[in-house]
Amino acid sequence: MRIIVGEGSCGLAAGAGAVHTALEALFAQSNPDGVELGITGCIGMCFLEPIVDVYEDDGTLHRLVKVQAKDAQTIYDAVTSGDLSLADKLLISPEDEQFLAKQTRVALRHCGVIDPESIDDYLANGGYQAIAKVLATGMSQEDVIEQIDIAGLRGRGGAGFSTAFKWRAARDAKADETGQKYLICNADEGDPGAFMDRAVIEGDPHSLIEGMLIGAYSIGASEAIVYVRAEYPLAITRLRKAIADATERGYLGEHICGSDFSCTLRIKAGAGAFVCGEETALIESLEGKRGMPRLKPPFPAQAGYWLKPSNINNVETYANVAWIIKHGGEAFAAMGTENSKGTKVFALSGKIARGGLVEVPMGTTLREVIFGIGGGIRDGREFKAVQLGGPSGGCVPASKLDTVIDYNELAATGAIMGSGGMVVMDESTCMVSMARFFLDFTAKESCGKCTHCRLGTKRMLEILDRIVTGKGEAGDIEKLEDLCYAIKDGALCGLGQTAPNPVLTTIRYFRDELEAHIDEHRCPAGECRELISYSIDKTKCIGCTACARQCPVGAIAGERKSPHQIDPALCIKCGNCKTACRFGAVQVA
Amino acid sequence: MSITYTIDGVKVVAEPSDTILTSATRAGVEIPTLCFDKRTAIYGACGICLVEVEGVPKLLRACSARPQEGYVVHLHTERVDRARKTALELLLSDHTGDCRGPCKLNCPAMTDCQKYVGEIREGRYKDAVDTIYEAFPLPASIGRVCPHPCEDACRRKMVEEPISIAFLKAFAADKVEADGTPYEVQCEPDTGKRVAIVGGGPAGLTAAYFLRRYGHAVTIYDKQPKLGGMLRYGIPEYRLPKAVLDREIQIILDAGVEVRTNTQLGRDISFDELRVSHDAVLLALGAWKSMPMRVPGEDLEGVYGGIDFLESLGLGERPALGERVAVCGGGNTAMDCCRTAVRLGAKEVYVVYRRTRNEMPAADIEIEEAEEEGVTFKFLTNPIEFYGEDGHVTGMKLQIMELGEPDASGRRRPVPVEGATEDIAIDNVLMAIGQGANCAGVDADLLTQRGTIACDELTFRTSIDNVFAAGDVTNRGAGIAIQAIAEAQKAALCINNYLEGDEVRAKVPYFVTQEKTPADFEDEPKQKREKMPGLTPEQRRDNFEPIYFGFTEEQALREASRCLECGCHDYFECRLIRYANAFDIDPERFAGEMHDREEKPVVSEVIIHDPDKCVLCGLCYRICDQEVGKTFLGLYNRGFSTVVNPMVPDEARTFCASCLKCVEACPTGAMKSIPAVERMTQII
Amino acid sequence: MQTLAPVDLSLIEPTLDTYADVPGSLITILQETQETYGYLPMEAMELIAERTNTPIATIVGVATFYAQFRLEPVGKHLIMLCQGTACHVNGSELISAAITDELGIEDGGTTDDGLFSLKHVACLGCCSLSPVMMINGNTYGSLTPDKARKILRELAAENAEGGEAQ
Repeated sequence: MRIIVGEGSCGLAAGAGAVHTALEALFAQSNPDGVELGITGCIGMCFLEPIVDVYEDDGTLHRLVKVQAKDAQTIYDAVTSGDLSLADKLLISPEDEQFLAKQTRVALRHCGVIDPESIDDYLANGGYQAIAKVLATGMSQEDVIEQIDIAGLRGRGGAGFSTAFKWRAARDAKADETGQKYLICNADEGDPGAFMDRAVIEGDPHSLIEGMLIGAYSIGASEAIVYVRAEYPLAITRLRKAIADATERGYLGEHICGSDFSCTLRIKAGAGAFVCGEETALIESLEGKRGMPRLKPPFPAQAGYWLKPSNINNVETYANVAWIIKHGGEAFAAMGTENSKGTKVFALSGKIARGGLVEVPMGTTLREVIFGIGGGIRDGREFKAVQLGGPSGGCVPASKLDTVIDYNELAATGAIMGSGGMVVMDESTCMVSMARFFLDFTAKESCGKCTHCRLGTKRMLEILDRIVTGKGEAGDIEKLEDLCYAIKDGALCGLGQTAPNPVLTTIRYFRDELEAHIDEHRCPAGECRELISYSIDKTKCIGCTACARQCPVGAIAGERKSPHQIDPALCIKCGNCKTACRFGAVQVA
Repeated sequence: MSITYTIDGVKVVAEPSDTILTSATRAGVEIPTLCFDKRTAIYGACGICLVEVEGVPKLLRACSARPQEGYVVHLHTERVDRARKTALELLLSDHTGDCRGPCKLNCPAMTDCQKYVGEIREGRYKDAVDTIYEAFPLPASIGRVCPHPCEDACRRKMVEEPISIAFLKAFAADKVEADGTPYEVQCEPDTGKRVAIVGGGPAGLTAAYFLRRYGHAVTIYDKQPKLGGMLRYGIPEYRLPKAVLDREIQIILDAGVEVRTNTQLGRDISFDELRVSHDAVLLALGAWKSMPMRVPGEDLEGVYGGIDFLESLGLGERPALGERVAVCGGGNTAMDCCRTAVRLGAKEVYVVYRRTRNEMPAADIEIEEAEEEGVTFKFLTNPIEFYGEDGHVTGMKLQIMELGEPDASGRRRPVPVEGATEDIAIDNVLMAIGQGANCAGVDADLLTQRGTIACDELTFRTSIDNVFAAGDVTNRGAGIAIQAIAEAQKAALCINNYLEGDEVRAKVPYFVTQEKTPADFEDEPKQKREKMPGLTPEQRRDNFEPIYFGFTEEQALREASRCLECGCHDYFECRLIRYANAFDIDPERFAGEMHDREEKPVVSEVIIHDPDKCVLCGLCYRICDQEVGKTFLGLYNRGFSTVVNPMVPDEARTFCASCLKCVEACPTGAMKSIPAVERMTQII
Repeated sequence: MQTLAPVDLSLIEPTLDTYADVPGSLITILQETQETYGYLPMEAMELIAERTNTPIATIVGVATFYAQFRLEPVGKHLIMLCQGTACHVNGSELISAAITDELGIEDGGTTDDGLFSLKHVACLGCCSLSPVMMINGNTYGSLTPDKARKILRELAAENAEGGEAQ
């Protein structure tokens, strides 16, 4: 029997490390049946972490969820006694199993399945067969690119540009006398709310390496670089080990798989700048400079890293490549819609019942992802909107839930596919505050180079700040719109050009909410502190004193077992009382 | 290999290495930009050079985009204008400074005081006078009599006292006269258009001066025997020697102005006649009617209108005054009256004013000097009756007042103290509480209810097509000379526009301004204002001799060196303000927080960087890096907090080549070279 | 506040030996320097300038561009509070307020005893556990204001014990 502990960042944050330690300690004392204890990366069911998979020798899987260190003894007993029903109370529910069952996994095919720290595990699961096929069967650069072309693979990082087109451009670009070209992986996953790239690197680093090798072969690059966010230490550690292992086994370095193809791979850690997700800014950063975007043209394919021809794709894009080469472009293209092929990974979070990583074929509806897989809204509340594409995207309302996942269809809503962040909101989320949140983000992350972005996002933020604090003025919406269109036209790079999207979608779908803030100084969602007041419904309050105990400023008074009251002069609107009340007596107006 | 395309219909030929911007420049098409400089790599930060190309979905940056054969490029479309104007508005929302000094902005005629004070400091007196003449003629006269709003605004007063701007003006004008190099008016070729100016006072003379410069034929009609108006007949000799005025009027007349003196409108020449025989008429009649006080006894003998009194003096008469004279009013005319009365031998001269000294509209120095000459001020008193014997005034009853709540003008309103009165014995009363227009001969349709001439405030046009008005006679009523001059200057421009068939309105340009407090000048070394040498009170009390001698050259140089140079040194080269005015932006549209800025960093011994004015075009540091090869400057922080900084440690300053290329490249006034003089002082 | 220990520049010699001549290594050098000192001392940046033959303006320019770099020392426990979308939706603002209330420091601040620094950071990528904070490499998820206070008190207590033991 094998016991596998899910140890992605989420799992570890939820306590997987302690579970692992506890299990290890027990088996260290006595392990008569030679039970193996291993790890795996994130399987994507973050809402159930920590997850422990127990595999019987015949391969039967018992998935135990929300395991805590104190449960280690139960698992130990079940495994050592051979009676796995002892651990049934930890067993995943049939409903929760649907979360995975309804997905189609290509990019995440090994995540949560294999041990990311073991190259053997990767090899045992068909790893490095694609690059071996390319090199052994004498596929030309064009042969490879053609498969990518047939697959219809588009960049998974945001804009959805054709991967084959970029590869051809980089391949065709004339290198200088050094002959040097570079292949770069953008793992600077900066969109707040997106974490699939982290999951891939943490859970299946060799897939990334293999995809990059195939890409490097196709464009003629002998050096590949992964630019990883510094906030992902675990990903860096695992990728570093994977590179060392792959190099040792001859999958990286000179004469890969005995061929003439040589390629090295190294990691460059980012230092915290969202704008470095923009490819020219990323290149500047790779060169050790301030991550300020360059003007295009020239495009990186002509003059990129050190002004040499360079190709940049993100992690998820590369993670699909080995699968495509192995199964053929057609197999990939068989999934999806007319202009959006294959699958897409989404990071489902927010007020969702079952949050985590979801990979579905293109063409799936938002409704299916959010309600079918994600189980809808938590705590029985109403769905209000889903945020797609992070700071470059927008909030899509309930009326658009039947939109299918497709680059064009999503763009038509005013949001974008983006890197796959999908943050779900219920009626308690203020959409104006949401727009403000994103502008606060882009204003902070603007590199400061171009006027429209540096000052435009700041001024938009100021206007939104006024609105959420009840100081909005007539004409603010029009002023915002005007500024939005000017910034879209005038900003230098994608960050600035898309920064207005969250505001524009808010104006488009939630204008009434904006107007309520401006005209009536009212926050319909009850979120904007300056516009709300807390009170206690006497008919519901039983006088349990829970709220009073949680109030940090002593604004709640009342005798035990009789209704309490909030002094509005003292109340700082922190919301602690509302969270503390189990009877729904605390009201926000 | 070259390709051809069009920009706004102009054919442009581009070489393969060209961008839209470089090829446009060669073809003589200006595309605005703040961050492009051909010595550095294309940067694309400012977002001003955006253009729209037919068939291209995105706007292009002309600095980087390569033109293609047949491109149809537009510099002005709705999208381009929005994006470009927004960029300028955004830049201005984070840009502060003084495009022009407060002195200039507070001068009704917008005289470039800072410039001529600087020219005087450098001993370039002729240049200084030329600078003044750009705004108005008569500098020696105005320099002596102007209540100088420029000095009221002068920031030097936050250090100790304002610059003596007015006297410096008089100094420069006197100096070039003494040097035998007086100003000569340069006129455009004759246009053949004829303009009649009614009234030869400061407004009429100024209008004549400018209209001659524009090339129009000018005739001045004046009821008095000589030109000068209020300057001659309203201001006593001791303040403005008429020889000075004569000399300056002559400069204007030498430009070829025709003069008809002793010619009164409605009496000697009719309004319609003037209108028909000229292409345009400017009414600059002044305000010669003394306002009545509406007090019983006003028509007694010995009670005069203040301005009538001064006028008769100007005409060479010597009005009979008794020993005790009361002057009613607190303005400059009242001061002229009381001091003249002293000079005419009155033993007791009172100034009766219903508020206190603080509220007096007269210039402080005038009040001071009147006191020195023995004038008694009776503040918080208001005449309620003049009485007399045999029809001649012998005394007046004064109501004692106190200050109440502030009125609309912000001054505390005087209110009577119930039952408190005072009687004083007097032989004469001079009423100087205000002046109105006397528009006899002018069509009644043109007048306001107050009897002044109604005209548009921006075009100076009256309701009759070719008739304009300026000066004290217009809507607002009497003011100080420089206000009348300012109106005449603008009216002349409007008349010129009218005669040329252009839009008449004189456009008011936009300037960036800022507020300062004394705290901003704490470190400024103090240097006292130069004292004007002149006669002692004893020496001046019994005659009309000019009371001031004028600054000596040493004094003028010292005084001019006190200027803080508030106005931006780069105003005339600043592309930001040029575009802001050219593209008609709304500078306040995005007003908000300004980026955090520390003190103005000293870049090197010769360069200061002003973050208040920086637009982050990056030219300074890019020039330093790419052209000079020093990389002495750099960008710090990011986003809204980004600033240009030199490296901090002092020893690093030796890196700087002091080549000033960064200063030259800066499109605004953010990079400034410290003038050699100032460097010397720093070293000392 | 803590007094600043003098900076032992020899500590970054190995880093400089490895990277000083490798083009494009500035960020890596700065990262290792910060790893060494906990922040980027000006003396160290001057040494880097000298050894890499890079203008100091360029170095400070890079150091002030990236969120990761600090020009001032931070507290023993650096609280990185996630500002991601999911965390925002799930109430990170309340967590921030609770931390500020508990420690008396705002974003970017350090407690007087030098024990805690608070820094708002971009998405930590643990969205399903939002709101989240990371302290010294450990991620704490599904926070409530109460839970956050408890964690800080535990860390403070640990420190006090450790201090006594010494």
